[in-house]
Amino acid sequence: MKLTYMIAASLTVAATTASAQDFPERPINLIAPFNAGGGTDLLLRGLAPHFAEAIGSDVFVSNMAGGSGTVAASALQGQRADGYQLAYMSVTVSTIQPQIKNVPYGLDSWTPICSIAASPTLLFVTNDSPFQSMEDVVAAVKEEPGKYVFGSSGPGAITHLTMVAAFAGLEIIDDMKHLPFQGSGPAIKELTAGNIQFFGDTEILMNRGDFRPLMVFSDERLENFPDVPTATEVGIEAPLNELYLWGGLFAPAGLDPEVTATLESACEAAVASDGFGAFAANSGTVIKYRGAEEFDAFYRAQYESNAALIEAAGL
Amino acid sequence: MLSSLPEAIGILLSLEGLLVLVLGTVLGIVLGAMPGIGSTVAVAIVLPFTLTMSQAPAILLLLAVYAGSVYGGSIAAILINTPGTPQSAATCLDGYPMAQRGEAGLALGWATVASVIGGLVSAVVLIFAAPQLAAFALEFGPIETFALILLGMTCIVSVSTGSVVKGLMAGMIGIFLSTVGGDPILGEMRFTFGNWQLFAGFNLLAVVIGVFALSEVFMRASAPLSRVSELVAFSGIVLPSRAMWKGRLRNLSKSVVIGNLIGVLPGTGAATAAFISYAEGRRSSPNGAGFGKGEPDGIVSSEAANNAVTGGALVPTMALGIPGDAITAVMLATLTLHGITPGPKLVDDNPTLIAAIFAGFFVINLLLLPLGMLLSRVAAPILRVREAFMMTAIVILCAVGIYFVRGNPFDLLVMGGAGVVGFLLRRQGFPMAPLVIGMVLGPTLELTLRQGLILTDGNFLAFFTGHPIALVLAIAALLALGLPVLRALLRRNAA
Repeated sequence: MKLTYMIAASLTVAATTASAQDFPERPINLIAPFNAGGGTDLLLRGLAPHFAEAIGSDVFVSNMAGGSGTVAASALQGQRADGYQLAYMSVTVSTIQPQIKNVPYGLDSWTPICSIAASPTLLFVTNDSPFQSMEDVVAAVKEEPGKYVFGSSGPGAITHLTMVAAFAGLEIIDDMKHLPFQGSGPAIKELTAGNIQFFGDTEILMNRGDFRPLMVFSDERLENFPDVPTATEVGIEAPLNELYLWGGLFAPAGLDPEVTATLESACEAAVASDGFGAFAANSGTVIKYRGAEEFDAFYRAQYESNAALIEAAGL
Repeated sequence: MLSSLPEAIGILLSLEGLLVLVLGTVLGIVLGAMPGIGSTVAVAIVLPFTLTMSQAPAILLLLAVYAGSVYGGSIAAILINTPGTPQSAATCLDGYPMAQRGEAGLALGWATVASVIGGLVSAVVLIFAAPQLAAFALEFGPIETFALILLGMTCIVSVSTGSVVKGLMAGMIGIFLSTVGGDPILGEMRFTFGNWQLFAGFNLLAVVIGVFALSEVFMRASAPLSRVSELVAFSGIVLPSRAMWKGRLRNLSKSVVIGNLIGVLPGTGAATAAFISYAEGRRSSPNGAGFGKGEPDGIVSSEAANNAVTGGALVPTMALGIPGDAITAVMLATLTLHGITPGPKLVDDNPTLIAAIFAGFFVINLLLLPLGMLLSRVAAPILRVREAFMMTAIVILCAVGIYFVRGNPFDLLVMGGAGVVGFLLRRQGFPMAPLVIGMVLGPTLELTLRQGLILTDGNFLAFFTGHPIALVLAIAALLALGLPVLRALLRRNAA
C-alpha cells in the first residue's frame, strides 16, 4: 500500500516537471464557443493545421455553443490550467458578457495567449438611403425624435455596442429606437427591407449587401473607404470612438509561464504562416497578432473601456 | 444564369461532381436517419472536407448532405418513432402508426415520393423564380412573421390527438421551455437560477429526442417485454401505386407550395413548414379525419413541405446573401472561404457556379429515390434485431448525437429529463407534438411580437391596420380556430 503511494507520488512529481518542459505531450483542444460553420469556428479550423505544425503536436477544434459564447467560457474557466484546452474568445465573450451577465468568470479568470484577428466596425446604411453623412443623421433624428430605428444582432453584441457608441457619442440615442435581431443575417435583411435604417458591423459583413458606410470606428480611415470619416473625426470622444471585433486564444488563469511561452510562439508562427495568410485573405479576416504580454495589457484595457459602453447601452 | 447551364452541367458530370452528388446524398440519408444527428450536425461533419475542394463541389457536397438528411430523418421517424430532426416530428404522427399496422414499407414509400416531389419542385422554383421570391421575403418584416407564426400555433389544435385541452397544455409547456435563457430583447437571463448551463436555454434537439425517442423507450420498457424479435415488419420501400394517389394530389401540391413559401422566409425553417402543412392537410384533405392514426396524407403533408423548404431556404441565401437557417449559414460561410462574397450580386458575378449549384440541387433530389430505396434494403435487417437491443442502441445513438451537437454534457441531462417528463405526460394522455410546436415556434413568436411592439410604440392594433399581409394571416388564424367550433355548433342546432 505504502509502495503504491510512493509510486503514485513520484509519478505525479515526474508528471509536473515533465509538463512544463515537454509540453505538449498530447493533443491540444481549441474550443470554438459558437456553432460549427460560424465565423469563429471557420477561423479556428483555418488556424488549427498551422498551429499544429508550429507546436509539433495534434490540434483539434471542438464546438461548445450557447449563450453568446458564455457557456464555453464558463466551462473552460473551471478547468485545470494545463495548456491543453484553449478557447478562442472575442471582445464580447471576454470583456462584455462578464460585465452584463452573472457568469462565473471575469477579468482575472484567464491567461491570454495571443490575439489573432481584429476588424474595426462601421456604421452603414442602404445605398439608396437619404443620409450622406452623420451630420444628416443627427439633423434628421433631432427633427423627428422617435422615428428612426437602429438594429443589432442581439443585446450586448458588438453590433449593438457600435450603434450605442455612435448614437450615445452624438447624444441622440434617446431619440432613437433599438431593434435587436438574432444574428446579423436577419438584421441585414431588415436593413434592406427598410424596417431599420442603421446597422453596424465589420467590413466583410457590410459587403454582403448593397450598403454604404457613414463612419468607421478605427484610429484611421480604411484603405477601401478613404472618404469615410473615423468616429473621432465625426466628433465622438474616447472611449466610444474606437471599436474592434477582436479575438484571440485564452487559457484558464494560472498557466505555467513556460507553457504560455510555448503556446505564444506557436501561435505567432501559425498566424504568420503563408497558409493562414491565404485563408485570412479569402475569408476577409484582418490579422492582428499580439503576444501574450501585450495581449494581456490590451485585454485589460478593453475590459475597462467597454464598461463605459455598457453603461451607455443601459445593459 | 440560365445561359451558363450547359457549362454548369459539365461540372456536374465530371467525376468529382458525380462522386460528390452520390456520396453526399448517401451520407446525408444515413446521418439523417440516425436519431439525434440532425441536418445541422450532418452538414458540420462534412464541412472540413469541403475546405480543400473547389467551389462548386464544395457547395454541392453540403447541399447533398443537407437534402439527404432531411429525407433520412423521415426513415427513423417512421420505423422507430424517433424523429432524427425536429422537422420530421410531424412525420412520426402518421408514419409510425402506419408502421405499427405493418405498412412500414408503404409509409416510407409515401415519404420518399413526397420528399422527392417536394424537393424537385423547389429546385425548379429556385432556378426560375429566385429573384421574385426574394422580393417576397423582404415583404415579411417582424410583424408579418408574427402573424404567420400565430397561424402556425393553431396547428397545436390539429395535432392534438385525444384531448385538445391536453394538447394546448402541452403547447404551453413547450412555449414555457423556450423562454428559459437569455431574453432576446433585453439580454437579461430568465429562469436560469444563476446556472450558466441554462444561459443558452434548453437545447431544442435534446428536448425533441427526449420526448419522442426516450419516452418511447420508457413506454416499451414499462410494457411486458415482447418475445417477438421484430419491431415492425419491414423489408424495403413499397412505392404507392397510381390508384392510391387518387384524391391525394391536391394535398401534395398544397404542401409543396407551403414548404416553398415558408422556406423562403428567413428564420422560420423546415419544422414550422412541416407542422403548418400538416395542419392545413388535416383541415382540407378529404382524408383529414384519419390524421394521426396512420393516414398517408399526413406523411405527404409533412414530407413534401419539409423537403420543399430546402430549395426555398436557398432563395434568400443565394439571392440576398441572407441565410434562411443554420445550414444555409454554413453554406454562406463556405462560399466566403472560397473567396466568394455572398450578397445581391452573387448570381450576376458567378453565373456558372450558381447554375451548377441549382442544377446539382435538382439532381440530388432525383437521386433521393433510387438511393433511398437502396439504403432502406440495407437498413431492413437492422430492424430485425431484438427489441431490447434495438432500444439500447436507440438510447446510445441519441446520447452520442446530442453530445456531438454542442459538446455539452448538460444537454444529456436535458434529454434524459425530457424523456422522463415526456413518458409521464404520455402516460396521462398528453400528446407530445404540441410541446415540440410550442418550443419550435415560441421563440420566434416572442421575438417578433416584441420587435413589432417596438416598431409600433406598443400599439398592438397597428400590427394589423398598417400591414395587410399580417391582417390576412391573422384572419386565417382566427378562421382555423373558429370554423370547427362554429361548424360543430351549427350541426348541434340542426340536430
